[in-house]
Amino acid sequence: MIRIQDLSVAFRSPVLDGVSLHAPAASILALVGPGASGKSVLLKSVAGLLRPDRGEVFVNDVALGDRDEAGLAEVRKGIGMLFQNYALFDYLTVGENIAFPLRRLFDLPEEEIQERVTERLVRVSLPGFEERIPRSLSGGQKKRVGIARATVARAPILLYDDPTAGLDPVTSQKIYDLIKGEQREQQSCVMVISSDVAGILSIADRVAMLHQGRIAFDGTAEEARTSQDPLVRQFIHGLLEGPL
Amino acid sequence: MTQAGLSEGHAPATSRRLGGPVIDGLRDLRDLFRLLGRTLSLISHGKREKGAIVEQMYFIGNRSLVFMCITMGFIGAIITFQSAVQSQRLLPDLTMLGATFIKLLVRDMAASLGAMPLATRVGAGIAAEIGSMVVTDQVDALRMCAADPVDYLVVPRFIAATLMGTAVLIIAGAVSIVSGMLIANGMFDVNFHTYLNFSMVTLGDVALGVTKMIAFCAAIAIISAQRGLATFGGSEGVGTATTRAVVGSSFAIIVLNFFISGLGYFFVPS
Amino acid sequence: MSRETLFALPARVGAGILSVADQVGGMTLLLGQALRRLFPPRVDRYELVRNLHRMGVQSLPIVIATAAFTGAIMVIQAAPLVIRFNARAFIGWGASFVTFREVGPLLIALMFNGRVGANNAAELGTMVVTEQVDGLRALAIDPIGYLVTPRILAMVVMIVALTVLGDGVAVIGSMITGDLLLDVHPRTFIASALPMLGPWDVIVGLIKSAIFGLMIALTSCYFGLSTRGGAPGVGRSVNASVVAAASGIFVADYLSTFVLG
Repeated sequence: MIRIQDLSVAFRSPVLDGVSLHAPAASILALVGPGASGKSVLLKSVAGLLRPDRGEVFVNDVALGDRDEAGLAEVRKGIGMLFQNYALFDYLTVGENIAFPLRRLFDLPEEEIQERVTERLVRVSLPGFEERIPRSLSGGQKKRVGIARATVARAPILLYDDPTAGLDPVTSQKIYDLIKGEQREQQSCVMVISSDVAGILSIADRVAMLHQGRIAFDGTAEEARTSQDPLVRQFIHGLLEGPL
Repeated sequence: MTQAGLSEGHAPATSRRLGGPVIDGLRDLRDLFRLLGRTLSLISHGKREKGAIVEQMYFIGNRSLVFMCITMGFIGAIITFQSAVQSQRLLPDLTMLGATFIKLLVRDMAASLGAMPLATRVGAGIAAEIGSMVVTDQVDALRMCAADPVDYLVVPRFIAATLMGTAVLIIAGAVSIVSGMLIANGMFDVNFHTYLNFSMVTLGDVALGVTKMIAFCAAIAIISAQRGLATFGGSEGVGTATTRAVVGSSFAIIVLNFFISGLGYFFVPS
Repeated sequence: MSRETLFALPARVGAGILSVADQVGGMTLLLGQALRRLFPPRVDRYELVRNLHRMGVQSLPIVIATAAFTGAIMVIQAAPLVIRFNARAFIGWGASFVTFREVGPLLIALMFNGRVGANNAAELGTMVVTEQVDGLRALAIDPIGYLVTPRILAMVVMIVALTVLGDGVAVIGSMITGDLLLDVHPRTFIASALPMLGPWDVIVGLIKSAIFGLMIALTSCYFGLSTRGGAPGVGRSVNASVVAAASGIFVADYLSTFVLG
């Protein structure tokens, strides 16, 4: 579904340095790694929001590098994205936020839009929140509205940037269940960044670990748990002793 | 992504220090004209969000009208007072006070003196708004929904600021005539009828004044939007973008005024 | 008409007046606190010098460019009237007088507000939302003596210095334009200016610009320090600060024109 080939991005210093990765269809790929290891940049590159200096991203075998902004819009139609800081439009209500992708990308009758917005809000356990404004929500609620907006168009590819950052364990678990449940139903291809390694391993099929802009590990969740590589072992199990 | 421009070359330190800002300035200018070009082309064939322009016009007008009327009211009073005091030193006759002031106001000051505070109000607002959308990823979220930020954010603000800004400047200019008239009457015994003398205002003056207003408002909108979109790095970035929007638009107003006034001197004789 | 709509306008006006009163009160208190740090001086010297240097460097190019263009524009605008009233002999005096008394201090203050005031509000606002100000308190460093007083001093000193420079550049700009556009020789220009200008004209302008500087410093520190709510909050503060200072500058200009005129 998503194929990343030799991707390099640099701002002032290199952020990603020759990353190659494959996210198969109908599975969850977890992206983990220490802070500032390039996870968010990688996710934004997959959505075509950043132009890499080198390398290529293929989404459903379409190379993003050849496409201009209009061409990328076609690809992005099939991608739902949750941003690290929710990126809710603060001048729109919660309901309008969730309806936004439907309105911009599809030509749906108004009743169907409203129906799907209501259904999404129920799904993320925020029923009746349509008329609230984002500013009045807590962090966890904003995250859930963000997830509702990312999934409302039923895109076959979903990108989540740290959906549980700063949330308590119970809310985090609810969000994991939500992501997993959605993915099973839609058979979607999911890439999810998380700093909560234990939690994300419980739902991920595959795990990729980024370290200093390179892939330090790429394998199944089980392999990640049992890996003897000192770097991976230290990070996955949160040990103090090790190369990190 | 690399910013490896000429400024990072191996030029000697002094020429780099002098050349760096020049190159940055030229790069800014290029980005500005690019954005202006895209905005103008999207005006004719962009996807227009229903009501977006009206909403922005309401917003911009609402935000600036009272402020501008107060500001220009004071300006009218100050200028009338100063010129009355000074012209009394040369000739005791104040009958042309109003006529001269009104001519200068129509030809220039309503646009140029008014555009400076307008830049502070409207420009800073546009830059802060778009800038915080950039740093909180809202602009990326727009792009994910095929909403081109230039089409969706810049075009409505550009049109609204140009139309509404011009309207606000005209109203504020009228207010400054009224305040000047009150000062002239209250402090120098010039009666209202003598002050309200439009005989020196020509059609050319009006055309020149309105051209300036439109140009200044368009410059404020496009510069502030460009600064907003170029925001980088958190809350500090939003602050920097706002600063640069205000300074950039104020400076652009002065430079544009120089050129338009210069052209006006030769081609729109009074 | 229902009660709500009947009272909506007065309520809004009242709320507006209350919030302005609140801000002016807050700034006055801040000024009092900042001044108290001067007797005896408890000002961070290093911060003072750093701010003076930074503010000067930041605004020097823009002040020079603004002043030069403004000097030129004044003559272009006045040219038709000068020709009409045949007042070539007065252009030097007129341009210098207007520059020293009004345009110089006013325009330089507006530019200074956009450049330094906005920057200052953004910087302080960022320090507040990233809890750096609390960090200072935790280190027993007085935020007023460390952050506010040096900035107020630096802004007042710097804006006066920049106004002296900008006045000079603007007059030279007028002189050159007068020569090119109206054939007024620089000697005629100076000869018309000198006898009619007194030191008082320059001093009044500089007093004004010091007042404007104080205004910009107070608003930017006040709004910066009362920032709330993350990155958008910083944007809002900068916006509010720049606008409040601009209104303050015009009001102060109006009042000082009458008091000092």
